[in-house]
Amino acid sequence: MLAAAKYIGAGLACSGLIGAGAGIGLIFASLITSTARNPQLRGQLFSYAILGFALAEATGQFRPSILYNIN
Amino acid sequence: MACSPLEQFAIIQLIPIHIGNLYFSFTNSSLFMLLTISLVLLLVHFVTLNGGNLVPNAWQSFVEMIYDFVLNLVNEQISGASSVKQRFFPLIYVTFTFLLFCNLIGMIPYSFTVTSHFIITLGLSFSLFIGITIVGFQTHGLHFFSILLPQGVPLPLAPFLVLLELISYCFRALSLGIRLFANMMAGHSLVKILSGFAWTMLSMGGILYLGQLAPFFIVFALTGLELGVAILQAYVFTILLCIYLNDAINLH
Repeated sequence: MLAAAKYIGAGLACSGLIGAGAGIGLIFASLITSTARNPQLRGQLFSYAILGFALAEATGQFRPSILYNIN
Repeated sequence: MACSPLEQFAIIQLIPIHIGNLYFSFTNSSLFMLLTISLVLLLVHFVTLNGGNLVPNAWQSFVEMIYDFVLNLVNEQISGASSVKQRFFPLIYVTFTFLLFCNLIGMIPYSFTVTSHFIITLGLSFSLFIGITIVGFQTHGLHFFSILLPQGVPLPLAPFLVLLELISYCFRALSLGIRLFANMMAGHSLVKILSGFAWTMLSMGGILYLGQLAPFFIVFALTGLELGVAILQAYVFTILLCIYLNDAINLH
């Protein structure tokens, strides 16, 4: 019973990746859009996008730490 | 036989030292920190021997690249007079190189990732944050408390906003440490889990000899991603440090 609840909890914790995935997708989608609008800003926008990507990815990485606390 | 994915983070004491009830042992964590620092110091020392070459070789241009990168970062992120921000350049440079080489040395198989331990990243971010607060008080005196109140706020809202800003200010230190630690730990254990998956499939034999190639190539790709994350997280830690430092020096 407890083991089953642990697995369900682990699965639920994984659903936190939905947000991180959507966030990363949004960041690169807006990078492409803004580069298409103003190609001259490409370098500057790319560094901002990488920073945003790292921040969004880090939020997603909090999930495994919860996962290991459960299991 | 697959081991636990968290086994690679185990701290082994190499030279046990106990002073009273205190625990000062020389562990593998301290060994790898020493390795990192001596590697960086040796690299910089040998590159700048005799003042370096006018036409840099590969190693010298590598060190110059890191130096130039951090210098640009400081100049872009911290506004104000050049003499003020250049005072903080050595601190930021040391933080960046230390984290970068810790993360990269951790990517070598069978080595130990120093930054995958919460206490190390938290200790680093907390001590940096206490330093930033001291710098803020040194620059502005008691006027530094106005960092807790955004400009143009109606007075009835002020108590709540001060509380919120205080929480967010304190939480910055925590999130700075957690971000680095969680990335390193999650990435390394993910690689370990997937390679354990491939190894189990391989030892089962039969058709799985071919099937194990799929997780193996995922591990291969993930290792590349982890190398990127190692560099990126050192960069993110440094850039956030610069942003927070800028907030403390130039109040909004």
